[in-house]
Amino acid sequence: MESVRFNFPAPEIDQSVDELRKEVRAFLDEERRSGGFVPVTDCWCAGVDPAFSRKLGRQGWIGVTWPRQYGGRELSALHRYVITEELLVAGAPVHAHWIADRQSGPLILATGTEDMKRNILPRIAAGECFVALGLSEPESGSDLASVRTRAHRVEGGWEITGTKLWSSGAQHCQYMTVLARTGERDPNRRHEGLTQFLVPLDSPGVTVRGIRDMSGVEHFNESHFEKVFVPDDAVLGQVGEGWKQITSELALERSGPERFLSTFVALERALQQGAAAMTGHQAAVVGSIIARIRALRAMSLGVAALLGQGHSPEVEAALVKDLGTRLEQDIIERLREFWPVRMKQGYGDELQYLLSDSLLRQPSFTLRGGTNEVLKGIIARGMGLR
Amino acid sequence: MGFDMEQTDQLILDTAHRLFTDQCGADVVNGAERGEAPERLRQAILDAGLTLAWVPEAAGGVGGSLALGLNLIRQAAGFALPVPLADALVANLLLAESGLAVTERWAALAFDGDELPVLLQGEVNGVVAAAAGAPEAAVLVVPVTEKGVVKIATFAPSTIEMEHQESLAGEARTRVILKSAIPGQLSGPVDGMTADGLKQFCALVRACQIAGALEKIGELTVGYVKERQQFGRPLGKFQAVQHKVADIAGESALAGAAVEQAVRRVSAHPEPFSGDSDIFLPLATAKVVASEAAGKVTRDAHQAHGAMGFSFEYPLQQYSRRVWSWREEFGSEFYWSERLGMAVAAEISALGAGEVAGCAWDAVSR
Repeated sequence: MESVRFNFPAPEIDQSVDELRKEVRAFLDEERRSGGFVPVTDCWCAGVDPAFSRKLGRQGWIGVTWPRQYGGRELSALHRYVITEELLVAGAPVHAHWIADRQSGPLILATGTEDMKRNILPRIAAGECFVALGLSEPESGSDLASVRTRAHRVEGGWEITGTKLWSSGAQHCQYMTVLARTGERDPNRRHEGLTQFLVPLDSPGVTVRGIRDMSGVEHFNESHFEKVFVPDDAVLGQVGEGWKQITSELALERSGPERFLSTFVALERALQQGAAAMTGHQAAVVGSIIARIRALRAMSLGVAALLGQGHSPEVEAALVKDLGTRLEQDIIERLREFWPVRMKQGYGDELQYLLSDSLLRQPSFTLRGGTNEVLKGIIARGMGLR
Repeated sequence: MGFDMEQTDQLILDTAHRLFTDQCGADVVNGAERGEAPERLRQAILDAGLTLAWVPEAAGGVGGSLALGLNLIRQAAGFALPVPLADALVANLLLAESGLAVTERWAALAFDGDELPVLLQGEVNGVVAAAAGAPEAAVLVVPVTEKGVVKIATFAPSTIEMEHQESLAGEARTRVILKSAIPGQLSGPVDGMTADGLKQFCALVRACQIAGALEKIGELTVGYVKERQQFGRPLGKFQAVQHKVADIAGESALAGAAVEQAVRRVSAHPEPFSGDSDIFLPLATAKVVASEAAGKVTRDAHQAHGAMGFSFEYPLQQYSRRVWSWREEFGSEFYWSERLGMAVAAEISALGAGEVAGCAWDAVSR
């Protein structure tokens, strides 16, 4: 009989983790009080402030798990986890460096050239260098293996032509990791012949155009590459390894606290307003949300622990993202009962603003990084159904 | 040391697993409800000492950790055990914790989370609406209160007025009516135990049972949709069915993670029956999440099973009815959600609005 029991081990929390949490909390409290930032919902996607990212870099809170020689601090994945969750619940504007810290940095560390590691990683860790993801295309969304962007071999390197869509924050980034087809398309081996390149966005032939989303933010981009030349050492890892790299990146991407805490800042503010006169019914709604977040966090920390032990908990990570992103949406739907969401700017009321902005942003939660339908497919495969 | 303990725990769990596999097939479970008492199973459980997992070795028990017993309870629920092992474990734990003599036969737990019977001048008065394990018990174990202090009392079942009923799942639930009843044994005050702390612990016991049963429901569903063919292919090849199975896996995993965290916290706590706020948060979380999952998982599992899952013969219903019953006992998701929400609101109010930003977060990350 197929086992459906999952293992979510407890993380090893030592004193240094707790101390780091206190340090980050104190810093964020002070920054908020002094106007260093205004809390925003979905801050890891909608809160862009390169100056704030540099401040975090100066604190030493970006790339903390990386080797010291590349600007890191060789701390544990749990240290990074604590930093990221404290930033998320504070609603701090962290989007500029988020992708590079979470995914591009580790990718470069695993597959990049020594030159890349020495030149780029320390700048990422300093909060000065940002990286965008070049995965989706106009004709390629959930079916990522169908990308049409092509890289041709030329003298001394590669020439890339194609269009990448929905790349978050690309207008603030110095680099994009671009997934391109380098081999012939074989319908029977669709995942072969794909390669990732690290492309400087100031290369000749690159144009980046912002796309306004329904919440009014212009963080999406359409990036066009017209015969863009990159040298041989822009290839990440080996030619043809792109798919393997992306699937292992996605495990990191799918189980982090940003998959259930994107709207937490609105819940926190609602509780501050409502705590003093809370009815039993309100408490039951709030309590049920808090219980679910606690349970998701236990799962998410369990996945982090598994990753730390060298496992690849692909199904567990997909479960966290499927449940967590739906919860982010549910939080707003359930708070509406007590705090109706009507005005876009909330008449200047902070809670109303956080709620309305959450509502306008929530369709993206269950789409980005792989739709929930794709995730359910991964889970079903894990159960032996595909 | 820790490793040795883990090894011993695993050995006991493996032994129990073999015992349940051999002696608690679906026929035994259904048979018990048709009036065929599972005598062999009951005796095998007693012989293996499983009801004594939480009794110290010095008192003739296994001396197992809280984690061992809770994992045993979760595992047993995966077999729909038609025997009140979980409740007997708790009853014996109360006897051992309070220094009373432990029985090697079945002990009933006359506690359902509501108000405790009152002890006054050596006599106990009160009603326990839903005691568990009473019909086969050699002794009734009753937490009572004397001037707000919890003590444990025992009674010979033959001396007490009882009305036997059954839960949704056919498990014995008995109204125990104590009228000026004189205990056979009476403990002194139990250190670090409150009525609410005991209720929280029992809520975790039910949450562990739900988690164990939900895993089994998931296994049954995956097995069924792989086997059952319609429109020329297995049901599991249909995307709509796959998504139901993914939802079952998600809710079941969430309940499992919440329960495991609560088990870790309560096992590490010096006063696990005190209702201390450090254990209240994980315990309430576990019961809320497990009870919510019970409804969602059974709905999806029955939908995937079609009419077969609705039949008495097919085992799914034994698990569905159990989780529907367990989710209500010792506080439903609605009850614990409200308490959880009120506890967080009280902390925020105590600090003053706007003073500290991260109060709800503190309740999540603690």
